[in-house]
Amino acid sequence: MKSRRLLPLPLVCLLASILTPADAAETPKEIKIGTLYASSGPFASISMPVYYGLRLWVEQKNAEGGALVKPFNKKIPIKLIAYDDQSSTATATTLYNQLITQDKVDILVSDSGSVLTSVGVPIARDHKMLLIDQTGTGATFFTKDNPYIVLISDPISSIWPKYVGDFLNTEGYQLGIRRVAILYATNDYTSTQANAVRKFLKDAGKLEIVYDNGVATNTSNYVVLLQNIRASNPDAVVHLGYPGNDIAFFRNVQESGIKFKWLFGIYAGLETELVERAVGPKALQYVYTYVTSSAISYKPNFGMTLAEFKAAWDKKYQGGHVEFGFNSVAGYTTGLVLDRALATTDSLDQLALRRAIFAQSGKLKTLDGDFEVDETGAQTGEIQPLGQLVPDSKGGLKLNIVYPRDLADSKPAYPAP
Amino acid sequence: MRNGLRHLIFVLVPVVAAFAVLPWVYSNHLLLFNFVVFLVLAQGINVIYGFTGYLPFGYVGFFGAGAYGFSLLVLRMHAPPLLALVAGALAALILGIILTPLLRLEGAYFAIASLAASEVVAQIISNPNLTNVTQGPYGIRLSGVYAPRFAYSVAVVILALTLLIVVYLRNSRFGLALQAIRENPVSASMAGVDVVRGRTIAWLLSALIAGLIGAVYAWYISVFYAETVFDLGMSIFAIVFALFGGTATIVGPISGVAILYGIYNGIGIATPQYFQLIYGILIMALVSFLPNGVLPLLKRWGINVP
Amino acid sequence: MLEYALIAGLLFGLYFSLIGLGLNLVFGVMRVVNLAHGDFLMLGGFAAYWLFTLRGVNPIFSIPIVFSAFTLIGWPLYYLLVPRLQASKDPEMLSLILFFGLSQVIEACATIGFGTSEYSIPGDVLGSEPWHILNQTFPASWMVSGIASAVCIALVYLYLYRTRIGYATRAVMSQRDEALSTGINVHAVSALAFGISLALAAVAGVLAPFMFGSILPAMGVAVTITSFAVIVMGSLGQPLGTVLGGMVYGVALMLMQTYASSWANLLPYLVLILILLVRPTGLLGKRVRHA
Repeated sequence: MKSRRLLPLPLVCLLASILTPADAAETPKEIKIGTLYASSGPFASISMPVYYGLRLWVEQKNAEGGALVKPFNKKIPIKLIAYDDQSSTATATTLYNQLITQDKVDILVSDSGSVLTSVGVPIARDHKMLLIDQTGTGATFFTKDNPYIVLISDPISSIWPKYVGDFLNTEGYQLGIRRVAILYATNDYTSTQANAVRKFLKDAGKLEIVYDNGVATNTSNYVVLLQNIRASNPDAVVHLGYPGNDIAFFRNVQESGIKFKWLFGIYAGLETELVERAVGPKALQYVYTYVTSSAISYKPNFGMTLAEFKAAWDKKYQGGHVEFGFNSVAGYTTGLVLDRALATTDSLDQLALRRAIFAQSGKLKTLDGDFEVDETGAQTGEIQPLGQLVPDSKGGLKLNIVYPRDLADSKPAYPAP
Repeated sequence: MRNGLRHLIFVLVPVVAAFAVLPWVYSNHLLLFNFVVFLVLAQGINVIYGFTGYLPFGYVGFFGAGAYGFSLLVLRMHAPPLLALVAGALAALILGIILTPLLRLEGAYFAIASLAASEVVAQIISNPNLTNVTQGPYGIRLSGVYAPRFAYSVAVVILALTLLIVVYLRNSRFGLALQAIRENPVSASMAGVDVVRGRTIAWLLSALIAGLIGAVYAWYISVFYAETVFDLGMSIFAIVFALFGGTATIVGPISGVAILYGIYNGIGIATPQYFQLIYGILIMALVSFLPNGVLPLLKRWGINVP
Repeated sequence: MLEYALIAGLLFGLYFSLIGLGLNLVFGVMRVVNLAHGDFLMLGGFAAYWLFTLRGVNPIFSIPIVFSAFTLIGWPLYYLLVPRLQASKDPEMLSLILFFGLSQVIEACATIGFGTSEYSIPGDVLGSEPWHILNQTFPASWMVSGIASAVCIALVYLYLYRTRIGYATRAVMSQRDEALSTGINVHAVSALAFGISLALAAVAGVLAPFMFGSILPAMGVAVTITSFAVIVMGSLGQPLGTVLGGMVYGVALMLMQTYASSWANLLPYLVLILILLVRPTGLLGKRVRHA
């Protein structure tokens, strides 16, 4: 009798171990997300806000017990492993490798900007890890033969100025703009945008480009360049440079007493706080710029709204030296996409994560806009509308959204008074 | 040459063997690769500064020339990597030949002029008007030649070659002649040393070394912008490592790289936020208290350094 | 357009002469390559920024404040760093490394203290209307900067050529050992020169928000490199050669920005190399014999 009772017991145990999900024994105790940031050097000002935004998401999730990971059907805490690459690409290469080979992270997230992302592209590919590219928009990263990269929080550089080109060709033309001057800094990011603007204008064929020049990215004085631009008598001036370039450019415009009818600068919108503090509100009056996700309240279908995010940011990082702006939203958006990916993926395998992320395309709308990726992993959504900074009643500036029509809340003031 | 044989066996072989074997033991291969790169660059500085007394601030110019020489041949002519490597080395060599007149300058003038030359090359390459040739500011993206393990082995071979060159200089009359040039070119020439020929050869050798390792670097990382391979920081690091270890020796630059670059990476992984501060203080302390490098300390303790 | 580029070039060049002046002084007096020069400029800029933001001090008045403060800082810093350096085998080249370390330390502290972003001072504190010269308009801040630079250069000239200690400084610059043997307190003279050099950098820093548009902790290195090009063009060890070097740099830059803008940053280096190949000791240097 004893033996008959004992026999089913091991059988039951065996059956039990087969029927229980195999992963139950292997549920990781934490999900390791590895990333880099630059605390010093030329890329620090775009890197730290992104890192802080991502960190905010991690800490929020962990306060809720972790992120829901579908294959294990439970919330698992997230561990953010982050190293400082000091804006050095050589250091970044060894650190990306460190994250993959030593820390064995489950998810690899790039540093901010194309330069610091670029060195991670072949490393991720070699180790067959999906590179979560936050803001590295270099067009050459995204090719059909490399599935191990996806751009999350910024549109690819060659599409970014879409609404600028569209506006100039349509409403701008109707307002009387005929001659356009383009001045850009010769680095990948701004040169690619310049190429895009040039292409949008040339394809439509209605506007004449009367000045089209590149200057080195470390250019810090525009006094002579501005005279040259003025001499070409443009109706619209498009300046594409990094924050240091924009600051020097706007200051020099104001101090030289030059008035352009239509003037565009990237960072007047991308880092409004920073630029406005540096050049003063008067210098930015009537300047056109991008309306970033930190200046327009999209209605997200997932994650915090802009207002909620700003409140959380201020609470956590008040008094800190890290600027709140578009880059902080970018870091947080990365978190949101990872959130959805982990909650819908079949496994933690890199290509499964990729499928999960790609599945969000066209469906996910965050405070950063519509998430859309093409087959190469390039972000084709989240395109920023065109806005204009106008004086408000308190001596400061207000950002009006002027294009496209369905998002606009004002008409452009042209020519600038 | 008996000394030379000893140097070969006790220095060159262990170092090269170590780096050949380490990838099996330590998985952050990129870190190992970067160590090899800096070892080679520091020895290159050793050749031109340690032995010959010319300090090229713009040494990274040869590195970048090698990287771009390699990349352009692969990108534009789809050349096989080993052939492109030769092209990279040649590019650096040609740059060295063009810049030979700079050797007429002395001391800090030479240092700054070489820096200016490196900047000039970097600016020319990244100019958007040359995009069709050099990819301008958009950076290089090599596909189809990605072979990090093989590239690493080639890098170790280059390390062996470089160390061979330094062993030769350490043990030959030519090396002695170079040191004479460093101490006092006028007296050296009066003693029969062909100063111009000597320093030109040293200069071209150091350019070749940097060009070769630059080409391998391009091969290894396969995606880079001009700023990456013309980064002044690399020159400075190589110089600091070489100087710390002690110049005109074989072991000096090796120990300099091992210690200083090792600390750099150690700090970077352990305490990132005070990284720059700690490293800066360390460098200052080293120069203040060990101005001639570590080697004179060892010499005082009676150790004869290879 | 040409006249504008020329005048702007002279103004900008004058500013760079100011930056280079201190660097050249230090090299001439103690054969030290101060790679942290740009970082002291950055500190001067931040000092002006904080004086303006916290106390409302107009940058013009910040200039003498900053000048005195940095001279006082330079004095002990000299004694801390330089004498030990001179005892080594190759002080010129080792100073490179030492001051590179110092540059890293300063940049790190500034980053920890101020963050990584750009700061600036609004241009209208130096005058809200642009100035008109020869039918061209120039920003007021550029004119003020030019004047301030010219004044500082004049003061340095007076210091070097009209004071006793300046006389001693020139003696040390030309022959250090002989100056020592004639009883000149070389260390004291050098310390003063070092302090003045840092002070000049800091004064240039006060004007930096206007000339460079903004200041940020990472700006030091690029400024140092360019100022080296300027002083080498003028001639190392000849402080007034810096004025010439600065002018050449400024005019070349502005002309290139007008006619071939994407090559603009290239030309100064090219000019430097060409000058050195023709006159190896810079435009105003003495011929040095070597093999």
